[in-house]
Amino acid sequence: MTGRVIVITSGKGGVGKTTTNANIGTALARAGNKVVMIDTDLGLRNLDLLLGLENRIVYTIVDVVEKRCKLKQALVKDKKNPNLCLLAAAQTRDKSAVTEKQLKDICEKLKKDFDFILVDCPAGIEQGFQNAVAGASEAIVVTTPEMSAVRDADRIIGLLEAKEDIKSYKLLINRVRPNLVKSNDMMSVEDVVEILSADLIGIIPEDTGIITSTNKGEPIVNDEKSLAGQAYRNVAQRIMGNEVPFLDLEKETSVVTKVKKFFSHLMGKEK
Amino acid sequence: MSDNILKELCNRILNLFKQTESEEVNAKDVARNRLRVVLMQDRTNLTPELLQRMRRELVELLSKYVEMDKDALELNFDQEGDQMALMLSIPVIRAKDEAEIEEALANEDNSDTDEEDEISEDDDSDNDEESSNEENSENYQEENPENNSEYNENNENNSSDNNDENNSQNENSQEYQQEENNNQQ
Repeated sequence: MTGRVIVITSGKGGVGKTTTNANIGTALARAGNKVVMIDTDLGLRNLDLLLGLENRIVYTIVDVVEKRCKLKQALVKDKKNPNLCLLAAAQTRDKSAVTEKQLKDICEKLKKDFDFILVDCPAGIEQGFQNAVAGASEAIVVTTPEMSAVRDADRIIGLLEAKEDIKSYKLLINRVRPNLVKSNDMMSVEDVVEILSADLIGIIPEDTGIITSTNKGEPIVNDEKSLAGQAYRNVAQRIMGNEVPFLDLEKETSVVTKVKKFFSHLMGKEK
Repeated sequence: MSDNILKELCNRILNLFKQTESEEVNAKDVARNRLRVVLMQDRTNLTPELLQRMRRELVELLSKYVEMDKDALELNFDQEGDQMALMLSIPVIRAKDEAEIEEALANEDNSDTDEEDEISEDDDSDNDEESSNEENSENYQEENPENNSEYNENNENNSSDNNDENNSQNENSQEYQQEENNNQQ
């Protein structure tokens, strides 16, 4: 088995890197792939929280690097899905505790046992970013339709293009608010794609369900009714090479559609 | 009579609405345009100061040949796919006649000791600016100090009758700069 190493990065913080990582990872595992997620945000780990695994972590990536445990011992299995594992970041150390070379070696080892290795990258463009990117051959750049996030994404794309090992990168636009786009108060997906001139892999609508799912430690892809969950499941399908049309957010979030869905739900889920 | 007055009133009210509608720029377009400008600066390493200097130098160069509305000059980067282009838009007030152009060129020739070399160098840098991609804009930055020193030399070498004109030009560009700064604020 030779797994694909995909780094999920954004430049700007708070655009939804970790949420994206947790959801794409879970969706890929639900689709039958063996998936491992690596949290490289040393000192500021959060991926464990989003997956609800915070109480199960014994060893971290730093323990692996400093040879206090074997790599396999440090992999935390997901509660629901045995195909899904997490290699957690150390909360008490800083970015210098793991080097580019060490991360690359870990990715190489994991490739043998997993289909997908998702690397959660810290915000910024410093050493933490360099480390996270080191072992990857693909990248997903997460941005939102806001100026600062798009600007930072542009910077990240420039840095990724300079990396020989990164063979391809795709754009994921998070937190799209169709109402604001419709009223010309927010840049549209098309605007962002045109400005960054990058290939799109996903459009995720703003969804209050993300907050509750984070609070519960349960990725939103497990919620069949959530639109954001559906969007993330579609991203996973596209990563696997399946062609899935992008959601028509304007239509999906319109009142008429919601009413229709409500009634079809009442009538016993008949379409 | 009263009909006419009523009609006029209606028209005025309608015009008022039309004006407010067209003047309203939506937040999405503002964001998109601001982002375009800032990304071009990021991608080319051209700071606002350097861009302003580029504009000033272009105005100086082109003023020799045409009389133009200096304040309305627009200098933008545009991207079509991977190719970056420098778009320069200048409203021309009036084409200068032959005598004026010759005079402007003669003034310049007098101030330059070895004129032909200078002119050919100028031409080169023009080409760079027009077909600007990232590499070229870097070249431009490197060339910039050179050009500037030439320009300063020109000023120093100018005979007394040219000085007046140059001073007025400098004043113009200073005014222009101030306006720019105000706009930025």
